[in-house]
Amino acid sequence: MTITEHYVEDTVLGPKAGGLYRRQNFFVALVTGILGGFIGWVIGQELLQGSNWGTDMTTTTTGVGWVIGFSAGIGSFNAIFRWIAGRDEDREDQLYGAGVGQGWKRYFKFCTDHKVVGTQYLVLVMVLFGVGGTLAMMIRTQLISPHMSFLSSQTYNSIVTIHGMVMIIATIIMVSGPFANFILPIMIGAKDMAFPRLNALSFWTVVAAVPPILSTFFLGGGTDSGWTTYAPLSVQSPAAQDMFCLTIITFVVSVTVAGINTITTTVTMRTKGMTMGRLPIFVWGSIVSAGLGLYAMPAFLMAQSAMLTDRVVGTSMYAPAQGGAGWLYENTFWIMGHPEVYVILLPAVGALIEVASTFSRKPVFSYKVMVGGIFGVAGLAIMVWAHHMFTTGWAPTLADPFMLTTELISIPTGIIFLCILGTIWRGSIWTKLPMYFLYLFLWNFIIGGVTGIYLSDVPADQYFHGNMFVTAHFHFTLLGGAMIGATAAVCYWFPKMTAKMLDERIGKVAFWIIAIGIQITYYGQFWEGFQGMPRRISNYAPIFANANLMSTIGAYTLMTGWLVFLYCIIHSWRHGEVAPANPWHAKSLEWMVPTPVPLENFLVDPVVTADPYGYGEPEPAVEPDREPEPAVAGSSSPEGGAS
Amino acid sequence: MTVIDSSDTPQQGDAPQGHATEGGHHETPAQRHQKEHMATWMFIGGDAVFFALEIFFWFYLRSLNTTGMWIGAKCSKLNPCTDGLGNPITHPIPKAAIGYTLGVAALIIVSAAFIWFAEIQGRDGASRKALTPLLGLGVLFSLAAIGLQFYQFQVLPFTTIDGTYASVFTFFMGSNIAHFLLVATIGTGLMNRARIGKYDNHNWYQLHLGRLFAVWVAFSCAVLAVLASFFA
Repeated sequence: MTITEHYVEDTVLGPKAGGLYRRQNFFVALVTGILGGFIGWVIGQELLQGSNWGTDMTTTTTGVGWVIGFSAGIGSFNAIFRWIAGRDEDREDQLYGAGVGQGWKRYFKFCTDHKVVGTQYLVLVMVLFGVGGTLAMMIRTQLISPHMSFLSSQTYNSIVTIHGMVMIIATIIMVSGPFANFILPIMIGAKDMAFPRLNALSFWTVVAAVPPILSTFFLGGGTDSGWTTYAPLSVQSPAAQDMFCLTIITFVVSVTVAGINTITTTVTMRTKGMTMGRLPIFVWGSIVSAGLGLYAMPAFLMAQSAMLTDRVVGTSMYAPAQGGAGWLYENTFWIMGHPEVYVILLPAVGALIEVASTFSRKPVFSYKVMVGGIFGVAGLAIMVWAHHMFTTGWAPTLADPFMLTTELISIPTGIIFLCILGTIWRGSIWTKLPMYFLYLFLWNFIIGGVTGIYLSDVPADQYFHGNMFVTAHFHFTLLGGAMIGATAAVCYWFPKMTAKMLDERIGKVAFWIIAIGIQITYYGQFWEGFQGMPRRISNYAPIFANANLMSTIGAYTLMTGWLVFLYCIIHSWRHGEVAPANPWHAKSLEWMVPTPVPLENFLVDPVVTADPYGYGEPEPAVEPDREPEPAVAGSSSPEGGAS
Repeated sequence: MTVIDSSDTPQQGDAPQGHATEGGHHETPAQRHQKEHMATWMFIGGDAVFFALEIFFWFYLRSLNTTGMWIGAKCSKLNPCTDGLGNPITHPIPKAAIGYTLGVAALIIVSAAFIWFAEIQGRDGASRKALTPLLGLGVLFSLAAIGLQFYQFQVLPFTTIDGTYASVFTFFMGSNIAHFLLVATIGTGLMNRARIGKYDNHNWYQLHLGRLFAVWVAFSCAVLAVLASFFA
């Protein structure tokens, strides 16, 4: 079906379209970033050494110089200066900024087209998972036997820290980056995000944050305080900790900007007839996640800013010897840290609902209850943070209330889970690759969720806290749950994003290896936890050997599965079968536009007359007052493709 | 489920909706105002969380007063903060001068007032000659606030290492400077755009958004100033 055509691409741009943007790209940004870092280093080394904070000051000014230089080089500041100068972009500039006529080069530029930004995010997320996964394999290799000497203890601690934070960054953006950018605007009938330049800014700001965190390995032996970087240990860590803080501060800017953009787009740019009650669940998941992020990320900013000032200019907010309090850091960190889990999870759950409905050929089970469950999770998520601190001795009288709120959150979570089950229950299941991953999510998430209830229980937490049981729990939740949800989303929207079909055969091979690998890896870690093995140790007693061997074998299996899946993506992207516009015969708007999706998504504004899950319902009559004869979208058979 | 409305079909070569958000002819100033108004409030909301945490830090460390170091020690090599056994010794530091703290707040409040007045004038269709000086004064006072904040840092009777009161106080100062810089930047943009005639009584929404942010910054700075002056 064709409801629009490419027309903007044919526009011939003048030689001055885009202005300064013409000279800016990723490679220029690398050069200006290095230059900025050097200038920062000179300032720190030569001008601020008198402040007596030495290495930490120099490291920080170098990192700040890098971020500013890179951002300037890619074009993040152009719009701000143009606005101040009173020069608004003309139409040619806007089209140039959207990547018209630039082919593959637009993926290396400050491109404002939401589909380019979504694709850039997808690639970045895969790169970050590659980095974090490699570090995970180094950890598991070290733990393969009790007295392995593959890594020194200091290096091991650094790797654990950076593995954790790289993975957290990757999982926060893994759905909200690629899909809330590429898919969400089309789903609501918009032609782009509300703020295209902020959209590009959010992406390139994450890119600017990556080198600082990777540089930590080369600064004083790395940062060694775990991904939570608890104070006061982290206040005393090597200079690498400064770059860690700077990475988080930069990342917070990106996530905040992206969250504001996502919510504004959804609220103000919905097409005619796309009422809030007709929003796809994925959109609900994305905007509630973005809203939760707006609450959580400033806490992350505060925690890390205060850490940086403690380290660089000698304030003492977290150092007890000078009057500070480690608990202050822990509170601030977890005020961010637990909502952040749901920032990660909710968009993934939203994507899974799209998959469940489409491949079951059924409407979403209890739409309003499902949306209520999403809001319920978000509301309770901000009231559970102290369950991470049951064993620290902070405010023991608050343990019971926090235990209660944590156990309460299992109710809306359970509602969401039941709604997914209700959606696929007795449906005409079309067992394609996204459904495989949906099933795997259901299995993993029930394990991650149920073990979480044990950890919310104060007496049980006294035993399990700080041991490998916790590690297994959150990996089942974040990897087995959210990341598998994101993988289902990749499989589902891959044809729309790349115009190619994902190879089902290779994908299923990857699926089974991943599914088995997850179970072996994390059952092994549950076993370690039951035996009482503490987390974050590079050598352990022989009693834990069998469980660790099992977990490491599982991890290698898992890595193999992800590599096969990566091959599947690259192979399909390059050589895959050309995708039709709506290969799944789905009903939501993103499947109503041609593939590849043209610059503005819709040549004409769509009018929505029903919710996007009307499987099994007769097609609504076309509104009679539309002239000329309207093209009808969503005309696929309700049973189409089901087998 | 979906029909295509062709009544307002763009023509070949029209500017796209999404990429015309700032200055394109598909969106009216009112539409842009709606989007940017919402985004501004969300930004202020996020900043309010940060602001609330600053206050939380203040009261948390003040009430905890670990090892008596809230109004902490003036530490130096000659006057160490611990004895030979590592026990803390406190030599209470003098508090920051209230005059400077409240003076900074007063300057940024005046800055916000000028920007607010410019918005009112803009709504009424004031000329560029009327708007530009008002916004210029707004910028000037925000720069003066930055200057006074730096000056206060130079004359503080303590340094960042002298206990938790000193720590949080100087953190407030850093936060203030960052916010004042934003006000000065936005104010400069508004002033320059007013100067070249970008605003009239149909298109003044950027003045409104600038005012919202400036007032928020003034409010939060005033609260921090009162806190630091009277609740130390």
